[in-house]
Amino acid sequence: MTSETPLIRMQAVGKRFGNFQALANIDLTVTSGERIVVCGPSGSGKSTLIRCINRLEKHDAGRIFIGQTELTDAMEDLNAVRREVGMVFQSYNLFPHMTVLSNLMLAQRLVRKMPRQEAHDIAMHYLKRVRIPEQAKKYPIQLSGGQQQRVAIARALCMKPQVMLFDEPTSALDPEMIHEVLDVMVDLAKDGMTMICVTHEMGFARSVADRVIFMDEGRILEQAPPLDFFQNPQQGRTKQFLSQILQH
Amino acid sequence: MSFDTALIVESLPKMLMGIGLTFQLLILSAVFGLILATLLMLMRISGKWWLSWPAQAYIYVFRGTPILVQIFIVYYGFPQLEMIRESVLWPLFRDPFGCAVFALSLNAGAYVSEILRGGVLGVDRGMLEAGEALGLSKTQRFVYLTTPIATRLALPAYGNDIISLLKSTALASTITLMEMTGIARTIVAQTYAPYEIFISLAIVYMVLTFLIQKLVARIERHLGRYTLKEG
Amino acid sequence: MEALSGWGDDFFQGSVVVAQVFVASLILMVIFGLIGAAAKLSGNRLARTIAGAYTVVFRGTPEILVILLLYFGTALTLTAIAQLFNPEIRFVDVPPFWAGTFAIALIVGSYATETFRGAFLGVTPGSIEAAHALGLSNLQVFFHVRVPEMWRLALPAFGNHMLSLIKDTALISIIGLNETLFVAKQAIGATGQPFTMYIVVGLIYLGFSTIITLTVMGLERYGNRHLRQGT
Repeated sequence: MTSETPLIRMQAVGKRFGNFQALANIDLTVTSGERIVVCGPSGSGKSTLIRCINRLEKHDAGRIFIGQTELTDAMEDLNAVRREVGMVFQSYNLFPHMTVLSNLMLAQRLVRKMPRQEAHDIAMHYLKRVRIPEQAKKYPIQLSGGQQQRVAIARALCMKPQVMLFDEPTSALDPEMIHEVLDVMVDLAKDGMTMICVTHEMGFARSVADRVIFMDEGRILEQAPPLDFFQNPQQGRTKQFLSQILQH
Repeated sequence: MSFDTALIVESLPKMLMGIGLTFQLLILSAVFGLILATLLMLMRISGKWWLSWPAQAYIYVFRGTPILVQIFIVYYGFPQLEMIRESVLWPLFRDPFGCAVFALSLNAGAYVSEILRGGVLGVDRGMLEAGEALGLSKTQRFVYLTTPIATRLALPAYGNDIISLLKSTALASTITLMEMTGIARTIVAQTYAPYEIFISLAIVYMVLTFLIQKLVARIERHLGRYTLKEG
Repeated sequence: MEALSGWGDDFFQGSVVVAQVFVASLILMVIFGLIGAAAKLSGNRLARTIAGAYTVVFRGTPEILVILLLYFGTALTLTAIAQLFNPEIRFVDVPPFWAGTFAIALIVGSYATETFRGAFLGVTPGSIEAAHALGLSNLQVFFHVRVPEMWRLALPAFGNHMLSLIKDTALISIIGLNETLFVAKQAIGATGQPFTMYIVVGLIYLGFSTIITLTVMGLERYGNRHLRQGT
């Protein structure tokens, strides 16, 4: 992928669940190195948006391009796309029956076909980056929520993706563990990782994001760099949302 | 009315001679049943109606009819069919042991497939999505993620089913097989001592049941070691 | 197929017997199950132990063994008792209907004990507390809160118990009950068509289990009507 081709392109994308319109007319372009925060009230389609990017949800209208590849039913190699798109879930979703190390190595060996030793070394490298190398042999249940989420981030990073998607990564964490995860995400951003982050953490948005996107009822209502977004929201709904969320 | 302990002491070894046959019936039916159950379960979850419906129909029929009737159909009924008599499998169906294993396997297959399906359905969807997001293929997810967890989830119910299978082996006595119950019935017919014989045999089955339960619990603990917070 | 024509009536009679056994054993099974559950949930150590032994014995013993034991055992005991009064008596016959009904009710009742116990435990303590707080007596709380909720929770497993019950009735043919398998044997003697006749028996039982399954599904839908969201 050249630096001219945007990493992600969404054109007039729509998605329905039965009668419910989850996404409507979404236009979004993400270039390499961009850090995007998506916010909005619950049910606004934020999760659906990023889940369409790695096709955990299939869009019914419009087009989505990851690099040069379009996401369609007829596409040849969905897994090739998924290798390049990392995802971190709200409920971590670690593999409970495997050690932390095995969690990190599984996809490397099965999807990137790496030999054991190399996968192991990469896994330990990223475990160090998320600052919990000593937990390598533990099972997920033995770790705290914050630690589990950091393992989840490391697991996605081991695949060396081009872009990382975060679906409310800190929403399920006890307050005292939120910052350890956000710290890791800030580090990641500093290293230039392209990321799209659905989150309520406005402090993170302010310090890290290049662009903040506000969604409501399946549409993108407003997007702007954080300074403009927080100081000068244009839409009524945006102002309303910000006043509610910035209360505490 | 006295309790003839001498008779028990004398008869117990005779009945225990049937334990070999009991175990052969149990193990063979369990193994074939499990293979069949895996196949049926895969057909059920395949999502293709032409695989799913026949599997469902099969399970419905075999869970909806008494196992004794199934045994009789195979042992007494199959010889009526020319197709069977002239087939390569005839030696199997002519023999009561073959018939018993066949019927018990088909029956077990139906029950166990539902147990396996329950295990598969119980696997956490979020975890499977994480596997998807990492780029694992459907097969890889099924082998490395679904199977280990579903096995652990299905184990208690499967253990119960093995115990049911053990009890069903006693029905082989109705088609002349001399496993433990068959021998017991012969002894009772000769000695008119149903209490002594049948009660001591019941105790044997209860001990076997207990042992199977202990074994299953052992395996459960081993498979579930990642669910414990202490290392 | 013409072989069947003479036997339609007999099979029908046999089916009626199956239905009769089912109803009788169902009532007994519920009684045994409720008593067993109550005993297991009670504060009384002895009651819990006896109930515990009840479940272990009847879940660990093959059904056919229980039927044989009950049938031959009671015959023997009753004969011995009768001979005390009248030494002339050679043999007291126990009707297979009752020996069999009692036996399968005891067996499935031991499983029902666990089901009812679990269901009673599953009743949300909150609703019980609220009922007491509103001033209802213990008896009223039992009948208006505990029992309805318990039934709703127990229904799926109870449906399975009913299916077990209807299938176990086939085993009673072994002690001479004149139900469908018994009729089939006679029909086979006359027509020489074991496959056909046993398939008929299978279909009869399939019919019964279908009725039971549909009834349970209907009851479940009725019982859960307050949980369904408006469409």
